[in-house]
Amino acid sequence: MNLFKLSLVRGLIAQFLGTFAGVLLTIIIRVLVGLPAWKSEPVFVGGALVGVVAFMFGTGVLNDWIKWTKGEETPEPPHDSDGLKGLAKYLHVSYDHKVIGIQYGITSVMVLLVAGLFALIFRTELAQTGLQFLTEDGFNTMISLHGIVNIGGILMGVGAMSNFLVPLMIGANDMAFPRLNAFAFWINLPGIVLLMSTLLIGGVDAGWTAYPPLSSNLVKVGFAMFFLGVYVIGLSSILGAINVLVTTLRMRAPGMTLFRMPIFVWSAFATAIIALTATQLIGLSFQLVLFQRLFGMDFFNPLEGGNVLLFQHLFWFYSHPAVYVFVLTGLGVISELLPVFARKPLYGYRWVAMSSLAIALVGFFVWAHHMFTSGMASYLRVPFMYSTLLVAVPTGVKFFSWIATIWRGKLTFPTPMLFVLGAISIFLLGGLSGPPNATVATDLHLHDTYFIVGHFHATMFGGYIFPFFAAIYYWFPKMTGRMYNERLGKVHFWFMLLGFYVQSIMQMEVGLLGMRRRIADYDPALGITFQQLLITIAGFVIATGVLVFLVNMIISVRRGAVAVANPWRSRSPEWQIPSPAPAHNYDTPLEVVGEPYDYGLPGSVYTRESSPPAPPVSAPAAAD
Amino acid sequence: MNGSNQGKPWRILIASSHPLFAKGLRSLLEERREMDAVVVGLVATIDEALTALESLQPDLVIVDYDDERVNRDEFLARFVEGEGRLRVVLLSLKEGGSEAIVYDRRTMAASQIDEWLEMWNENQAPFIPPGISPGKGTPQIPKPRRRDSMKHFIAAALVVIVLMAAGLYGYQQINLLPEQASLQGASIDNLFGIHFIAIIVLFSLIVGLMVYSILVFRRKAGDTSDGPHMEGNTKLEVAWTIVPLGAVLVLAYMGGTTLGDIQALPDQKPLQVKVVGSQWAWRFEYPELGIISTELVLPVDEQALLELSSTDVIHSFWVPEFRVKQDALPGEDFVRELRVTPTQIGEYKVRCAELCGRLHHAMESPVKVIAQQDFEAWVKSKTVACTGPVECGNLWYQQFGCQACHSIDGSVVVGPSWKGIFGKEESISDGTSVLVDHDYIVESIRNPGAKITAGFQNLMPANIAANMTDAQIEDLIAFIESLK
Repeated sequence: MNLFKLSLVRGLIAQFLGTFAGVLLTIIIRVLVGLPAWKSEPVFVGGALVGVVAFMFGTGVLNDWIKWTKGEETPEPPHDSDGLKGLAKYLHVSYDHKVIGIQYGITSVMVLLVAGLFALIFRTELAQTGLQFLTEDGFNTMISLHGIVNIGGILMGVGAMSNFLVPLMIGANDMAFPRLNAFAFWINLPGIVLLMSTLLIGGVDAGWTAYPPLSSNLVKVGFAMFFLGVYVIGLSSILGAINVLVTTLRMRAPGMTLFRMPIFVWSAFATAIIALTATQLIGLSFQLVLFQRLFGMDFFNPLEGGNVLLFQHLFWFYSHPAVYVFVLTGLGVISELLPVFARKPLYGYRWVAMSSLAIALVGFFVWAHHMFTSGMASYLRVPFMYSTLLVAVPTGVKFFSWIATIWRGKLTFPTPMLFVLGAISIFLLGGLSGPPNATVATDLHLHDTYFIVGHFHATMFGGYIFPFFAAIYYWFPKMTGRMYNERLGKVHFWFMLLGFYVQSIMQMEVGLLGMRRRIADYDPALGITFQQLLITIAGFVIATGVLVFLVNMIISVRRGAVAVANPWRSRSPEWQIPSPAPAHNYDTPLEVVGEPYDYGLPGSVYTRESSPPAPPVSAPAAAD
Repeated sequence: MNGSNQGKPWRILIASSHPLFAKGLRSLLEERREMDAVVVGLVATIDEALTALESLQPDLVIVDYDDERVNRDEFLARFVEGEGRLRVVLLSLKEGGSEAIVYDRRTMAASQIDEWLEMWNENQAPFIPPGISPGKGTPQIPKPRRRDSMKHFIAAALVVIVLMAAGLYGYQQINLLPEQASLQGASIDNLFGIHFIAIIVLFSLIVGLMVYSILVFRRKAGDTSDGPHMEGNTKLEVAWTIVPLGAVLVLAYMGGTTLGDIQALPDQKPLQVKVVGSQWAWRFEYPELGIISTELVLPVDEQALLELSSTDVIHSFWVPEFRVKQDALPGEDFVRELRVTPTQIGEYKVRCAELCGRLHHAMESPVKVIAQQDFEAWVKSKTVACTGPVECGNLWYQQFGCQACHSIDGSVVVGPSWKGIFGKEESISDGTSVLVDHDYIVESIRNPGAKITAGFQNLMPANIAANMTDAQIEDLIAFIESLK
């Protein structure tokens, strides 16, 4: 089919052309204002900005809104994506939340693969002492991009799960604002292009945290692209959050009170609150550095009255709650799946729901625990220590609830359940390594070491990556109408679990013994060379598991066994409709007449089709 | 019905809020004349039932155990507490038909009470006693069901304890931390110990329960029924919220006191050391002793007050054996203090712990902790004046950090090598060329960014020579000139 009709292709071409146009425009403006025509960074920034805007126009995702500004009507868009089938459907603009969810998902996996590849590269370098094949700057770029690209990928995965599941789980036919939803997906792509472009222009080697003065002093233009890329991806997060919040509050099926929602919706909701309110701060902090670089505004230049600590406060005010964006969604998946595979109610459902909100709230008050050695006021570290340790309480409520859910249950262990159980144990490891970091005195030893690296990789893998895989396997039939290959799924799981345990424990060990973060080489006198080799090997074992996963996805999408509507015998609404989910979700509207997790209560019903079926709903004429 | 009632008719109370059930059962009982039963009351609520138990003194209560409006706990409690002969029959109309269970107050075992409650909560089909078939025969008192719950708790607890023991044993065998070489480290390691033990205990608890569940609570092949309907327990939820809350508050409090300990002022005046980080070397100045050094030398058992700063980007001072860490910030208003009292003579390394650019991984300096008298000897040796400009120039070359970036043997480290540059014609980054003479060198030190040699980057800190006198610069120039 005609490649040039696809939104993705048009968008990329538009971005390419737009970048040139932006470069020219900036040069012209500079000349008019009396500056020398060429200075690489401002000119590239101008190019990048126009390029991003051009991308969005090129995809066609703005078309309906453009029509509205002209006073034209827009009919409800067809749910058949202009007749595209297969992969091509996902390369084109669609307003269907399920298509958008899968677009987020595929992009997320690809982005995570790239970030993982960066890790394999620098871990190979670190397997032995001495510099084997990377330059120092190259190494520093690899670790920096590994961090930021993973974060972008995880945010997109959160978007994938929220978008695909929330409307289905509440009995709605789509999100509240489908066009905004599509916009929020597509704007990620030019952001990723900007991040990847840094590789071509010298890299970014100040860590994903890009502290000034290092990030404001280094001349590399890549930094501007880095800041802009993150800005744009952050925008996606904010817009996606709006949709999740409004949809959850206003579009639940009749009878679905808040405490009758599937628990995943609670975590998506809590996550969206954070994404909506905190993301602006990382944009702000990066914008200030960019302005210092471009316009000489000395926010963080101490020689001119600036304060480097200001950046860290602004940056971490988002970046800490951000990790709860990553993790709350994953924990929601765990809570959602355990009852199905234990055939028992989610123990203490209301407490679990409230714990997500509690984590979101407390998570806003802990940011300076990333700054205990930064030179912030010494006494001020103490309240942050208290608040950080406090997060353990609602998190503990979840853990105990999970154990109580599987206790006395009737467990089965298909791949999604394996990933969920693995997630619990790994998240436990990561979470338990939190208190030594939270306590200021011990953190003085641990900060900026591999112990921290071990801590956050364990919490990320346990709180996001493993549940993300669990979700993909679990909802695979609902997305594709086919079952994945169970044996390959199990192989994937065992490779990842074993590889990851070795990796985490070794990382924490070498960190305690003196291995710092972000170093291209380490002293053999530390006596940790063997552990470094193990960490690298573990990384490759994990990568092998992921490879098995990719193979599984590719063959199962085409040739997996055809799935029934509800292979897991789940009570959740999305399993009461066919697999794959039909285009309009619920042809007959749903109503809720019972509790979501009453497994084991004979005769209990959660949802049923409302009768008589309501007349077909016409599209809201203008909603977003 | 089995059993005699000493010739008197059986007085029966029926408890159900479903009129059809209650009245239907009454008609059935009344039809079966040989049973000699008289229904003395029909009650629909628990209060009525309890009142009726007192006032009517029935011999048998038949309870509709599907009826969720009957408060089971309370009914059971009253049943068990009361005196006098009483039997209860629990009937269900749900799947499985009319299995019934009989409990006799006088002979009821504690285990049966648990079973009754469990069964009510789980809402499963009741255990069918042997010899019963629906609708006929005489109900016998069923064998008590195995009381699984206590057994499982004990077995799981054993798994947890074994894991904990293994973990704690393993912890004793290994050293997780490097050697401890400071007073501050002693308090910190104490806290680490508490944390590590807490980690082992909690990990064992959760993983132990998980592993036990995974091994024991498996669905049996072909069983498509659900598990027990355990929704929650508010008391338990409150407990496992309050107890962890208390634990973290205690931990936080201990963290706070430890932080106070490690920042404590010493008994006598501490040794003042200015620690200056630059890309990519450390410099240590002892202002009271007039010494500048590229190694940090400290007397044992005396508190050193380190005043940290940077000439360019953020660096961080860390000696793992000392356990404490502090970032070194640029800007004269941003000097930060770190107090360390070394307690162990030895040689260590300080390595920069905040990413500061290309050579961050190699930004390290020796740290030597020596006895008091050795320290005094060291001070003396460092304050020996150098003789002659070239020798002094060599000393400043090391002490002011030039050595970190400029070699004297021709190799390129970060900046141009000094070997043979004096008197050379060098090209500058803007395309012009310049003679490397006395004035150029002075300018390159005082204003490093002015004329950068072509092919090199502008990395020399602008204020690197803030503490250098003109005389010292003259010495340096003499030294450079001597490097043919």
